[in-house]
Amino acid sequence: MIRAPAFLSGLGRFYIGLVLVFLYLPLIIMAAMSFNASPFYQLPFEGTTEWYAALAQNDGLIAATLNSLKIAVMTTILATVLGTAASLALFRYEFRGKRVLQALLFPPIAIPWLISGTAMLIFFFGTGIGRGLHAILLGHVALALPYVIIVVSARLQTFSKDLEDAAASLGASSWQTTRKVTLPCIAPGIVAGGLFAFAVSFDQFVVSYFLATPGQTTLPVEIYAAIRKGFTPEINAVSTIIIVFSMSLMLVVSRFFRFGGDQ
Amino acid sequence: MATTGTRRQNGLAKALPLLTPAYAWLTLAIFLPLSAMVYFSLLTSMSPSEQSSSLTLANYAAFFSDPLYATLLWRSLQLGLLVTLICVVVGFPAAYVLAKIFKGRAREAIFLLVILPFWSNSLVRVFSWSMVLREGGILDTALNAVLPFEVTFDLMYSFPAVVIGLVHSYLPYMVLTCYLSLQAIDDALIEAARSLGASRFTTLRRVVAPLALPGVLAGSALIFIPVVGSFMEPRILGGRGGTLYGTVIEDQFTAVYNWPLGAALSFILLAVVLAILLVSAPVLRKAA
Amino acid sequence: MNKTTAILTGLGLLLSGTTAMAKDLHVLNWKGYGADEPFATKAFEEMTGDTVVNDFFNSEQEMLTKLRTNPGLYDVVMINAAFMQQALDEKLVQPIDTAKIANYGDLNEAQAQSKMLNVDGKTYGVPWTWGLTTVAINDKAFDTPPTSIKEMWKDDHKGRVTIRDDAVEAIQLGALATGQSINDVQDIEAVKQSLTELLPNIRTFWSSENDWNQMVASNQIDLGTYWSGSAGRAKTKFNLPVSLVVPEEGAVGWLDSFAIPQGSTNVEGAEKFINYMLSPEFYTEWDKSVGAPVSASQRAVAALPEDSFNRRVMGAPEVAERVQFQEPVTDAQREEYLKVWQGLKVGAN
Repeated sequence: MIRAPAFLSGLGRFYIGLVLVFLYLPLIIMAAMSFNASPFYQLPFEGTTEWYAALAQNDGLIAATLNSLKIAVMTTILATVLGTAASLALFRYEFRGKRVLQALLFPPIAIPWLISGTAMLIFFFGTGIGRGLHAILLGHVALALPYVIIVVSARLQTFSKDLEDAAASLGASSWQTTRKVTLPCIAPGIVAGGLFAFAVSFDQFVVSYFLATPGQTTLPVEIYAAIRKGFTPEINAVSTIIIVFSMSLMLVVSRFFRFGGDQ
Repeated sequence: MATTGTRRQNGLAKALPLLTPAYAWLTLAIFLPLSAMVYFSLLTSMSPSEQSSSLTLANYAAFFSDPLYATLLWRSLQLGLLVTLICVVVGFPAAYVLAKIFKGRAREAIFLLVILPFWSNSLVRVFSWSMVLREGGILDTALNAVLPFEVTFDLMYSFPAVVIGLVHSYLPYMVLTCYLSLQAIDDALIEAARSLGASRFTTLRRVVAPLALPGVLAGSALIFIPVVGSFMEPRILGGRGGTLYGTVIEDQFTAVYNWPLGAALSFILLAVVLAILLVSAPVLRKAA
Repeated sequence: MNKTTAILTGLGLLLSGTTAMAKDLHVLNWKGYGADEPFATKAFEEMTGDTVVNDFFNSEQEMLTKLRTNPGLYDVVMINAAFMQQALDEKLVQPIDTAKIANYGDLNEAQAQSKMLNVDGKTYGVPWTWGLTTVAINDKAFDTPPTSIKEMWKDDHKGRVTIRDDAVEAIQLGALATGQSINDVQDIEAVKQSLTELLPNIRTFWSSENDWNQMVASNQIDLGTYWSGSAGRAKTKFNLPVSLVVPEEGAVGWLDSFAIPQGSTNVEGAEKFINYMLSPEFYTEWDKSVGAPVSASQRAVAALPEDSFNRRVMGAPEVAERVQFQEPVTDAQREEYLKVWQGLKVGAN
């Protein structure tokens, strides 16, 4: 450890404090406003829970929230399964064009979502795949796949092929080897990849926005429409709920997987 | 040689069943749509009745003949640079403090706090700024309650509001990537530099900075690319200053119904972003 | 690939299984514009058993695009009469059998027969309401209401004016300010000049009623363009200090109508809905509890109290003289307006 002078490390701590205030202040204010009576966010503050009560009656928002969850769960499952399979193939086998296949993982990440989203809209609309929840799922899985493959592949790098060879020489079939040896070893990577997939899907707005149809939308799309077309603090209420939800989810997960701690 | 060749083919045969589902999915949802967009950008009109059978470059010509689009693209690129730069300036020191000053559980907890917002909805985060920045909003009232003099703090519906909202959205990326590369630097290296008589600043400049560069660059790319194509943030926070390249593309698809023009504009954006990445590729490779 | 598609379709069906239901009535309108009032939805659903599903648009352009990209989804759409021609050209709406709409007979004759809504002897739009796009003020900023549209250009209101981000509306505002006809803009350069001078005063563009109301609530604006019904709602429903002004230079008049989109699966429900929207019961409740523009149904307007804004002010002859009603804008004009407006907005920063 470097011994920084006390004042420097104090300054550092103060600075981190400022950054945290910047990151959290607006979220706290937004949450506070979900308990304020004025529909135009006027002060002074008058406490109320009427917006939460109104939210419970808002079928459109509730349906959109359920859609978001459904799609995020399905994306997680599909992207994790397909992505892990592809990672295993890329790890185990040598073949011509492997580098090209690896390079092909970057466009979905590197292309601005605005472009992927509009491209999907054009293609799905033109080919009859259409828009709606199935199209959103199609898009989300594609966006999440590269993250899963990259995260799982990174984990595979720490895994020795010798283990697989040893299992094979003891007479295990390829599938047995995978199930009994490889998968348990890379499980943390698979779970991390799945989490990425969930977050990518649950947070995704742009692609969903272009692929949603009236009645078949996700929560972010519905919130955007509400912000642009006139809204009430109901939106603050639902936003507060999903922020608390996704942050708690991550907190729970971090209990099992240590992020950023000393390695 | 021959054996390698057969093993390679053999490898492909074994790999295919595992690879096909994932890549078929990517093809269907990413690569075919991108190709369709190129084709679409060459069409004359949306409605089949007015469709001429020949393809046209008119939509690309529109970009070059009307300075409006170039101005907007330039403005979006500037916004991308500005936001990226601010994220580096704010995020790098934060990552440094996190990686080199904090340790143990405290580090883990604070690191988690910094990246937690990244897991919450970006739209919601942008929206939350509209509560903070408006005149007569909460920041205003709070400041005036504390300060002896009257201040009006009114940034809502302005270019700075867009910048603040975007920095807030993307700062965790920069902290994350910088932190990962800073953490990988062996402290002994820094101590060695110091013991050889290098000043704190020289150590930072000559030892830490070059080693942390890949993280800074990765973070920059992760921020710059989406910011250039942003349209939701400027719409919500930008007001009069919120017309950008991204919002014009959005309009073509959701309102004006000129998908061919929208496709051409999207494709030009893609080309510009790729060109920027290619130009900076040598720097990236050197850093890596 | 085929397998993938099959799986996808399966998943899609699974996902969408919950949404389809018989006897839904999909209505496309502005948000907060009568048709989505909870009291109206409730009354209509009790009356007919249909379930009203509202969807909203943010501009006439978006409305048209929603019709284009969702064929067969909507049953009723609210169309500004000036945009009917475009909807017709693209075959987005179908003829309406007015005999099925009992309250059709109460309509103002001239509006019902409007050439914008009737083509080749067929009726495509049923007039619903009319009103003005004019100036509304924040009462806190004025001792006496201004009489000229030029008030918006004054330095006193620097950064405290709002207009809607809509090319056609902006150009028509410029036309009024430069003394031109809104439907026949001869001197577009003068309009450009006038709007360029206005832009420094603009706080932001509004895109929904809610934007406008929030800005008044937090005292961010002095005045701006607004719709007559919306100003009424701001006052009645939200108790905001908002008053409508009909300046001496004139105001833009519009006629909103209901149409039935091509491919509607519930035409019968649509006819009932339109009929209900024209009824005095709906209209008086709407105006009293929320705030409404003027109904196209004479019987409905007559049912309002005599001193109501929609009878006293909107019915006054001097107002009628100042109104210039919107006529259809051609594609070429619209494109030109859009270009001018985008150029102005970008140049302004």
